[in-house]
Amino acid sequence: MWLAFACLILHLAVAAPARAQLDAHAIIDRVDRLMRGDSSRGVATMEVVTEHWERRMTMEIWSLGTDYSLVRLRAPRREAGTATLKAVEDIWNYLPKVDRTIKVPASMMGGSWMGSHFTNDDLVKDSRLVEDYDIELVFDGEDADGVAVWDFRLTPKPEVPVVWGHIAYRIRQSDDMPIRAEFFDEDGELARTIEHGDYAEFGGRIVPRVMNMHPADKPDERTTIRYEELEFDIDIDPSFFSLRTLQRGR
Amino acid sequence: MTGRLWRIGWRNLGRNRKRMVLTALGLGVGYFSVVFMVGWAEGVSTGLVENATSLVSGQIEIHDADYRPERSLYETIGGREGADVGEILRTIEADPSVVAAAPRVYASGLVSSGEATSAGVLLGVDPEREVALTRFLDPLAAGRLPAAGRYEAVVGDEMARQLGLSVGDELIVVASAADGSMGNDLYTVTGIFRTGLLEFDAGTMVMPVADLQELVVLDPGRVHEIAVSTLDPSQADLTATRLAAALGAPERAMSVAPWTELNPVLAQYVALADATYWIFIVLIYSVASFGIANTTLMATFERRREFAVMLALGASPRSVVGTVLSEAVATGIIGLGLGTAVTVPLMVWFSTAPPDLGWLYGSLTVEGVLLTPSLRVGTNVPAWIWATIGLIVTALVSALYPALRAARVPPADTLSGV
Repeated sequence: MWLAFACLILHLAVAAPARAQLDAHAIIDRVDRLMRGDSSRGVATMEVVTEHWERRMTMEIWSLGTDYSLVRLRAPRREAGTATLKAVEDIWNYLPKVDRTIKVPASMMGGSWMGSHFTNDDLVKDSRLVEDYDIELVFDGEDADGVAVWDFRLTPKPEVPVVWGHIAYRIRQSDDMPIRAEFFDEDGELARTIEHGDYAEFGGRIVPRVMNMHPADKPDERTTIRYEELEFDIDIDPSFFSLRTLQRGR
Repeated sequence: MTGRLWRIGWRNLGRNRKRMVLTALGLGVGYFSVVFMVGWAEGVSTGLVENATSLVSGQIEIHDADYRPERSLYETIGGREGADVGEILRTIEADPSVVAAAPRVYASGLVSSGEATSAGVLLGVDPEREVALTRFLDPLAAGRLPAAGRYEAVVGDEMARQLGLSVGDELIVVASAADGSMGNDLYTVTGIFRTGLLEFDAGTMVMPVADLQELVVLDPGRVHEIAVSTLDPSQADLTATRLAAALGAPERAMSVAPWTELNPVLAQYVALADATYWIFIVLIYSVASFGIANTTLMATFERRREFAVMLALGASPRSVVGTVLSEAVATGIIGLGLGTAVTVPLMVWFSTAPPDLGWLYGSLTVEGVLLTPSLRVGTNVPAWIWATIGLIVTALVSALYPALRAARVPPADTLSGV
């Protein structure tokens, strides 16, 4: 009896802090899975606004887990067919104009992807948040608009090679919808903000339809991705994400 | 009085010819050392400047005022509207000290061939103007220059090696264009250049200006740089000021920068080298002066009795000092003669056909500038003048103490003693 009681005390003592940890972990994991699914196919428009020009592209996107994705431009016409294949650590671009495929070298992984504010690295380093970050709940309450939210602070695990110092992630409590993610560099300076919005139902689940990225150093610039179509858990396997598919064209 | 002292001094030289010749040689070698060391240092810094400015960059560069240091694709000369490049080139070439001027467009992109891809700088040039301005495209290590409108390009030899390219091969170029699109096209390699600057040879692809403007969607009037070469790199600052006025650079938001501004480290090095010439002069002549002081002291000690007789016969101590000093000056003049006889032909040889020292310590890269070591010397007129003055001063100063000693010889004691 006393042994059972002692065990219970011990259990409570260990479990209480672990539970809070687990919750934060579980929520982020849920959001992460929601945004991704095991596999997906979608059509999105990407709007890039910079100091010098504005562009609008339509693209079709396939993904499988975190390792594989394929993006092919449908519009503008001049660039239609241009495609990017990501397979694990590598990125290839297919250029229909010259009908050639080139692999993006390591030195250019920090370069812009398709002229947007996303880098090639953003595609490659697109990993599961719960695997790479320690997650801590830092706020539980209402935001300025009176919406109940959680704020999480995601700190990269020591051995994980990510470029961010930490990420501040805000999630809506009612339905686990992500609202905003702020990315800070290693000096604690805000580097960029990603805002989610226009929550809508696609393929039986509610997801944020719009993703808006603002680089912190260029307040007038942004990249906005808006999903027009999105389906999850489609029948697709890794062999789809091959150089052959990449070159198959539109 | 002075004439007589001179005569005595001059005649005394003949009394111990060997010693005189050795002393004069000491001064002559000192003179040669100073002129040669200063000349060589000058030659090295002139070579450094010429190499740095004539290989790729030019001695003056004209940009949009906002272009440096970010070197953004959008900051072309004359802003978004561009400029009348032909008119600017004509204005520049009207300046008498300008040798050549050439427009350039820069972009960054990926250069790919087969499986291999590397990131590089895409440099758009006017091939005809460029070869008049810089040396890196002339001669090419292989092949020929690219022709405009035919999707031709030349690459550095290190890039060619990394991408496995040779003349006639095809390469793919992808670059972020000014309208936000991904410019891409196929080009034929018509030639390979080699500057010896590893970074440049590994990371640069050159094509005609118009072709690069097409790739990155820039209008024909939009160039990032106009490079200028001048007759005398050391006058580049003055030329730049003159060009800025002729072009109305401030009103058009253009910057006209000489190499001293573009490569301040090099400019500092040259200034430092100039300042060290004094150290050469002082060090070399100090060493020489101790040698001369020693011989002169010995000589005056041997002639103690002679000075005692002079003094006893009524010569003033002053005139004794004068004799010894004029002897020293005479020796100096002979030293100068010997020195000049050696220095002039050697310097003429070294400055017209500098012997290559590559066998001694290979080629080296200093501050991104390729140097082939040679005994090339510069002509520095002030250094020759100072070396001459230094020689005479050295002869005088080193004879001063022995001369004073000679004047203080006590006549009676010296003559009565042994």
